[in-house]
Amino acid sequence: MSKYIATTTKDIKLLVRDIAGLAMLFGMPMVLIIVMTLLQDSTFKALEEKKLPIAIVNLDQDTFGVSIVEGLSTSKFFHVSELGRNYNSIEELKKQVTDGNYQIGIVINKDASNLLRNNIKYNILQQLPAEDSLIFGNDPISLMKSVGIDIYFDPITKNSFKQSIVSALNQYSSGVESKIMFEVYSSLFQELLGMEMRNQGDFSNLVDVQTLYAGDNEEFVPNSVQHNVPAWTIFAMFFIVIPLAGNIIKERESGISTRLRIIAGSNLPIILGKVTTFFFVGLIQAISMLLVGIFVLPLFGLPQLIIGGNYLTLLVLTASISLAASGYGVVIGTIASSQEQASIFGSISVVILAAIGGIWVPVFIMSDFMQILSMISPLNWALNGYYDVLLRNSGMMEIMPYMLTLIGFFAFCITIAWFVRNRREMA
Amino acid sequence: MSVSINISSLTKRYKNTEINAVDNISLAINKGEVFGLLGPNGAGKTTTISILCSLLKATSGTVEIMGKNLATDLYEIRSKIGMVPQDIALYPNLTAMENLNFFGRMYGIDAKVLTERKKELLHVFGLSEKAHQRIATFSGGMKRRINLITGILHMPKILFLDEPTVGIDVQSRTVIMDYLMTLMDNDMTIVYTSHHMEEAEKYCSRVAIIDMGRVIENGAPKELIHRYSECNNLEDIFLEITGRSLRD
Ligand SMILES: Nc1ncnc2c1ncn2[C@@H]1O[C@H](COP(=O)(O)OP(=O)(O)OP(=O)(O)O)[C@@H](O)[C@H]1O
Ligand SMILES: [Mg+2]
Repeated sequence: MSKYIATTTKDIKLLVRDIAGLAMLFGMPMVLIIVMTLLQDSTFKALEEKKLPIAIVNLDQDTFGVSIVEGLSTSKFFHVSELGRNYNSIEELKKQVTDGNYQIGIVINKDASNLLRNNIKYNILQQLPAEDSLIFGNDPISLMKSVGIDIYFDPITKNSFKQSIVSALNQYSSGVESKIMFEVYSSLFQELLGMEMRNQGDFSNLVDVQTLYAGDNEEFVPNSVQHNVPAWTIFAMFFIVIPLAGNIIKERESGISTRLRIIAGSNLPIILGKVTTFFFVGLIQAISMLLVGIFVLPLFGLPQLIIGGNYLTLLVLTASISLAASGYGVVIGTIASSQEQASIFGSISVVILAAIGGIWVPVFIMSDFMQILSMISPLNWALNGYYDVLLRNSGMMEIMPYMLTLIGFFAFCITIAWFVRNRREMA
Repeated sequence: MSVSINISSLTKRYKNTEINAVDNISLAINKGEVFGLLGPNGAGKTTTISILCSLLKATSGTVEIMGKNLATDLYEIRSKIGMVPQDIALYPNLTAMENLNFFGRMYGIDAKVLTERKKELLHVFGLSEKAHQRIATFSGGMKRRINLITGILHMPKILFLDEPTVGIDVQSRTVIMDYLMTLMDNDMTIVYTSHHMEEAEKYCSRVAIIDMGRVIENGAPKELIHRYSECNNLEDIFLEITGRSLRD
């Protein structure tokens, strides 16, 4: 026990004295997390801001036309420009679309609203008994051909765009139709029953399709921050492999481990002392990075990291990740024959394990083969654990499998390191 | 005089090599003597010492230390020996005191005893003032001295030193060798390697001259000088029997 404490104090001292090393251990990950989150967030936004430009000439200027323009303008998929309100504007619109300034041109025809009203009245009359045929006045009402909207497409417009605009227009039109129908019915009721109708209500979304995320807690929908902060936290934690392996190799190269070998006793306190030191490094790293997610990222205009309420689960999970990373460092430091080998192999292997594990690109968009492969990466276990705690609000029992595999990985690494060390002693 | 270390037919061949680095060495080293292992570069001194302090496994042959077999009673033997390596095996970013504290605790020395030993040894080797400076700031001589202190903190029964006086000034060397003499007076057995023939002649009770892994001569320096009547000192004898050709 006293040997273990001696090694730990010594290693902590060595670490604290290495100011440059410390700055790298704690400063770089924070920079990394801010840069990566910003980067991915702006890509995300750029995708979102790629709205489809639409030119509109609204000759109707009544309920129908106004509602359609309003509907398109508030959609996040279209960028709407109104060109003018006379017949010349139609020529202008065609020219602009042909020139490729707009992919889509929309003309809302004159009197579209009135025609619609007329046709609705006609339909109502068909339903009423013959004696009520003059209810809308003395003029005869006949069914008129109504083309409310003309759409002009740039020939290169993709089919998917065409479909999305047509379906959007259909959606808005039917909304307006019901609105106008209701208008007509209200005036009719008013006429027949002398009852004042309150023309209120929303007819646009009487039936709506809702998109939901499968999960218990709808609030935790992943965004750039919720993915990136845990992902890069894990990545940075695994980079303690390099200073840890370096520490072990330095001891070997300087002859210190030879000296320690003669000092009777087991290797275990020496290994565990290092693990303890770097375990806390990883833990502090993780905590500081999560704090960056909560307090610093919002300063950059990013959403705040939401960590839910399971602090203990989060801490225990983070501890198992740190343990796994330390174990990996010990095994690399023990097997590698030089400082260079350890840092090159250490960093590249961590990058590969990160890529496989879904740190760079989320696992669910990988191919089936890669999805299976991802399961060999401890960084993947760690990331899944974080997803569960942060996004799905899982508790200790639910993430137990991840924690156990991480701790198992640690135990596996230490066993190998210990075995190799002992074997080497007997050389 | 009782035998402290008994080496018989010791041979070591490193993996993937053609020749024996240590070739059938047999020696008996007595309790309380300073025994010098001398020889040109690559003679096999470090290899021999490494085997004796259990850092390296012999290919064949046996070593008995204080009556115990090195191959079977490894841990018991390790607790009774001390080793001062050829390299400065210390943490450069820790102070002298911190290094001593760490190794002292690794030896399992009682805290009170450790405090006293540190104080005494730092004083003897003129490092009291520098105790709280980092090893990285030390001169070569100071590093050698603290390297030595680290190896004897636990006062072993047998002490192995691999070139403890290499690359240092006469002052440091004298302090080190004089201190080793006082340890010998306290019945410690000391085995050390050196390239300084004059030093060996002055301090060693007996020496073995090794070349190409073999002991080619051994005995008390005075006795050897007597035997090689044409030679005036140990260095002449050394050149006489190991030749003048350069070594790898
Ligand atoms: N790890 C090793 N693997 C293979 N050969 C080795 C190894 N260590 C030493 N040797 C070889 O064994 C022989 C003896 O080396 P050793 O280091 O014991 O010599 P030495 O007497 O200590 O020399 P020096 O005075 O230069 O320290 C040399 O030929 C050396 O090249
Ligand atoms: Mg040597």
